[in-house]
Amino acid sequence: MDLPPLVVDNYGYVLAAVIVALGIVTGYLARKMNERVLEAVGVGEAVEGTSVERTARKFGTSTTTFVARVSGWIIYGVALVLAVRVVNPALATALWVQVTGYLPNVVIALVVIVVGLVAGDKAELAVSERLRGVKLPEIGIIPVTARYSVVFIASLVALSQLGVATTALVIALAAYLAAVIVFTVVATRDLLAAGAAGIYLLLTEPYGIGDTIRIEDMQGFVQEIDVFATRIEDDGTEYVIPNHLVMRSGVVRVRD
Amino acid sequence: MTSLPGLAEDLVSDVDALFCFSPSGSYYERAAAVEDVDVVVVAPENAVGAELFVELPLEFSDVRERIRFGIEGALNQGLVEDGELLACAASVFGDDIDTMTRVRADASAHSGIYDLFVNSRADPSVIRDVLDVVIELGRKGQKGKPVGALFVVGDAGKVMNKSRPLSYNPFEKSHVHVGDPIVNVMLKEFSRLDGAFVITDSGKIASAYRYLEPSAEGVDIPKGLGTRHMAAASITRDTNAVSIVLSESDGLVRAFKGGELVLELDPEEY
Repeated sequence: MDLPPLVVDNYGYVLAAVIVALGIVTGYLARKMNERVLEAVGVGEAVEGTSVERTARKFGTSTTTFVARVSGWIIYGVALVLAVRVVNPALATALWVQVTGYLPNVVIALVVIVVGLVAGDKAELAVSERLRGVKLPEIGIIPVTARYSVVFIASLVALSQLGVATTALVIALAAYLAAVIVFTVVATRDLLAAGAAGIYLLLTEPYGIGDTIRIEDMQGFVQEIDVFATRIEDDGTEYVIPNHLVMRSGVVRVRD
Repeated sequence: MTSLPGLAEDLVSDVDALFCFSPSGSYYERAAAVEDVDVVVVAPENAVGAELFVELPLEFSDVRERIRFGIEGALNQGLVEDGELLACAASVFGDDIDTMTRVRADASAHSGIYDLFVNSRADPSVIRDVLDVVIELGRKGQKGKPVGALFVVGDAGKVMNKSRPLSYNPFEKSHVHVGDPIVNVMLKEFSRLDGAFVITDSGKIASAYRYLEPSAEGVDIPKGLGTRHMAAASITRDTNAVSIVLSESDGLVRAFKGGELVLELDPEEY
């Protein structure tokens, strides 16, 4: 090859410069493209108004720009390490192994955290929307709990991705989930039983509206059957009987 | 020297409360800023977050009905006292408020419409849903032909005991409520058949094809109405139900309670 002596002498450095330049160009392109793609699939709208987006706005950027920028930085970083490797292989090998081994985990952790925060916000919004009709000030705790549950799980995944010891946190999560399940079952035991019985009653309709029935010592004609309760009425007295009671004690149909 | 605003002043001088019918947010804010006057909002829903609010179950096209309902509701909720002077701001021609009237609250003038919605056994929303279905049925008819229909709402157990089936009940073992989106179509199809629909307090459709057998003793309805209206009026006298009828001959919707006609409206106007 017929290269000027300057280039031949500093071959390594030139190659490194080319690599860095290529890295900058690719990184920039990747950044722009990721931003476009994220915007096109509707990420920008999806995160609108969430706390992640608000924090991003505070720093003069937005979630999509931030994620795209991170992808750009990663490519710059890789290009830089490659360049160093070309110039000084001995120094770079250790760094190379470190970076290639660790970088994907960092990226995944970062993405998981962002997705977790957004999902948490969305969960809070969805739950509070569902509970809007319930006029109870303390109900506000439920959406917040839902949000932090999602964020907690996301950070757990992210931390384990980074290789941080998360056993204690996993145990805490398990205890928390167990408590939630146990509380739900204990608190809604009667409702669950009544609901199951109610579905049977609605499907088979052993008694209909207008029939006179007796359950335990309550007698009257049926006004209403819904999933959880049967209402029977007798001379101005209305009994609301949970459906599992109907199943447990049986029904007497009174025909005359 | 009199000016136009001066003439209008007579309308609103010494009123105790201002009734706004379906006001816009900015109108309500301006009204609420007026001193010494309670502002009562009467609307289908409390969109402006007013403190004093009367729910309008349906948009009465007749302004007089609307105002009467609002005042009766406010009297019933204790928002205003009997004999107080009220100014009512309502919309007659457009969507914005364009009319102001001066009324005295009169607790003895019962129109019965408020009573129909609020003091019935069934939920007000159920009665409103049934009315919506009936109005829709009256406007469109069944395949373009006018139909008649009879809905008995509330106290379903007693109504079932005072009626008998004409055929198999299509709603047996079903769990369908008026107001469910598909129900309009279903009811429209079933309205072709004779007999009454029975609806429970919570809006579940208990039965169709019911032949009502109340005693018609002492029921006085306007002459000229047919057997359907007679049956509808009588069943409300024998039970605590209300009944809503669509007349096949004149296309009007009528509601009965306690054996009396309490509401008559033309579906074409809604």
